[in-house]
Amino acid sequence: MMATPVLWACFVVLAAGVVAYAQRHSQQDTHVLYERLGSDVTLPCGTAAWDTAVTWRVNGTDLEAAHLNGSQLVLEGLDLSHSGHYACYQGSSWHLRYQALLHVGMPPREPVLTCRSNNYPKGFYCSWHLPAPTFIPNTFNVTVLHGSKLLGCEKDPAPKNRCHIRYTQLFSTVKYKVTLTVTNALGHNSTAIIFDEFTIVKPDPPENVVARPVPSSPRRLEVTWQTPSSWPDPESFPLKFFLRYRPLILDQWQHVELSDGTTHTITDAYAGKEYIIQVAAKDNEIGTWSDWSVAAHATPWTEEPRYLTTEAQAPETTTTTTTSFVPPPTTKICDPGEVGDGVGSSTGLLLTVTVTVTVTLTTIAATGLFI
Amino acid sequence: MDLRAGDSWGMLACLCTVLWHLPAVPALNRTGDPGPGPSIQKTYDLTRYLEHQLRSLAGTYLNYLGPPFNEPDFNPPRLSAEALPSATVNLDVWRSLNDRLRLAQNYQAYSHLLCYLRGLDRHAATAELRRSLGHFCTSLQGLLGSIAGVMAALGYPLPPQGAEPAWAPGPSHSDFLQKMDDFWLLKELQTWLWRSAKDFNRLKKKMQPSVPAVTLRLEVPASDL
Repeated sequence: MMATPVLWACFVVLAAGVVAYAQRHSQQDTHVLYERLGSDVTLPCGTAAWDTAVTWRVNGTDLEAAHLNGSQLVLEGLDLSHSGHYACYQGSSWHLRYQALLHVGMPPREPVLTCRSNNYPKGFYCSWHLPAPTFIPNTFNVTVLHGSKLLGCEKDPAPKNRCHIRYTQLFSTVKYKVTLTVTNALGHNSTAIIFDEFTIVKPDPPENVVARPVPSSPRRLEVTWQTPSSWPDPESFPLKFFLRYRPLILDQWQHVELSDGTTHTITDAYAGKEYIIQVAAKDNEIGTWSDWSVAAHATPWTEEPRYLTTEAQAPETTTTTTTSFVPPPTTKICDPGEVGDGVGSSTGLLLTVTVTVTVTLTTIAATGLFI
Repeated sequence: MDLRAGDSWGMLACLCTVLWHLPAVPALNRTGDPGPGPSIQKTYDLTRYLEHQLRSLAGTYLNYLGPPFNEPDFNPPRLSAEALPSATVNLDVWRSLNDRLRLAQNYQAYSHLLCYLRGLDRHAATAELRRSLGHFCTSLQGLLGSIAGVMAALGYPLPPQGAEPAWAPGPSHSDFLQKMDDFWLLKELQTWLWRSAKDFNRLKKKMQPSVPAVTLRLEVPASDL
């Protein structure tokens, strides 16, 4: 019919218009540029001739003509403040000829990679970080080789610089090799570590460390804790513990290693002094000690003073686990030979000294550091 | 086993046969015995002692072998050492091992490893190294006896004296490959000692009811404080 050629003509015109429009606007697609910190870059104003009169804008703000080389924008000695949106307009009609998003950054330095098994024998995880920021997005790729076998490392959603591997075999003589490659628009770098199954075992610190005074025992503190919840099988893979404690007023720690159980009673605490206590864990045979747990504070039980009317009461010290009353220092006369609150008989003192194994304690007592 | 001409290999085969039959004598005094518990503990303690001993022995021996064997990152592929008893096992399989099998696997592994270790002793150069190896072999023999004792106490038969160790690196082996074999032997020994500690700990837990920890408490009269 008559309409058909007209319809076709319309289509052709429309198509031509779309193509022309697309062509014009393709010059104005936002380019994404990654440039190295400290380098120089020249941005062309699209396809505009060198001698065309143009205006450059950075993040919507006009740029002075001093940076121009003809219609091209020259940026020297890029720093982080140069990152932004650049646009070039031609003529008084403000015809947009070119636009770009500039990201100033660095190629990645060699990453730092560590692997650890805090859930032996289930598996291990590897975590990494860059020693210096790149200021641009990076992608990380981890490969795990067990002998000649390639294993997959499951990436954590968060934190995103960590991945997990499950052990398929236990008691392996073949080492694991973990390679990490970091890539960004400006370059790439990698690092690798090689280790045995046993050497990377390091539990998480013990949890819920609580220290309590023992009623009627001025020199005791009862400490309890729990095996870390990340350790999957304490029955078959038992942990041993290391306990350290000191009064807040001294710098020297005392240590006790415990091969069993999750409780211990300190019997040589200085009466009336607030203590800080921490516990660490380790698999009985393999690997390394965990970090120290969150510290517990406690003060041993002290007897209520009988003469409250004549002495000024010191304000009650509040600790997390005890409500014992700390007597004011002026009421006690401290004898360098004493290690207890009251006057000890010579035999009592002897017994106390001989039972206390640490040399430190006797040294402190002897030098009269006890206040 | 392919016996080669020459006294040394014949002697090795003879030694291995003797070793195989030796631990058949039960090591426990059965009169009024408190059960297998104490001997399991003793076996566990022996594995820890041996592991400690091996650490210094391996360090010395690997230094004697020289680089790359004494480098910490040395990670060679396993070649001819397939005949070595491997401690590697699937976790679920390891967990579900019954006591008899668990003990038998330990026993068989150390029997083989001891035999190979004695072969190592043969061509070790320095007198000090030979002395250390000899000492270690003696301790390892003790461990074997201890495991045999536990098995006897539990009424398990010792593993059958079936196939003799088939791994006999012949003189045709290059010097480097010989060193590789030595390297893997020490590696496997170390891994087995770690595994044994876990094996015997598991057995210990099963045999003994939980014993309350003995703590030395000083009961000082209240008047003294």
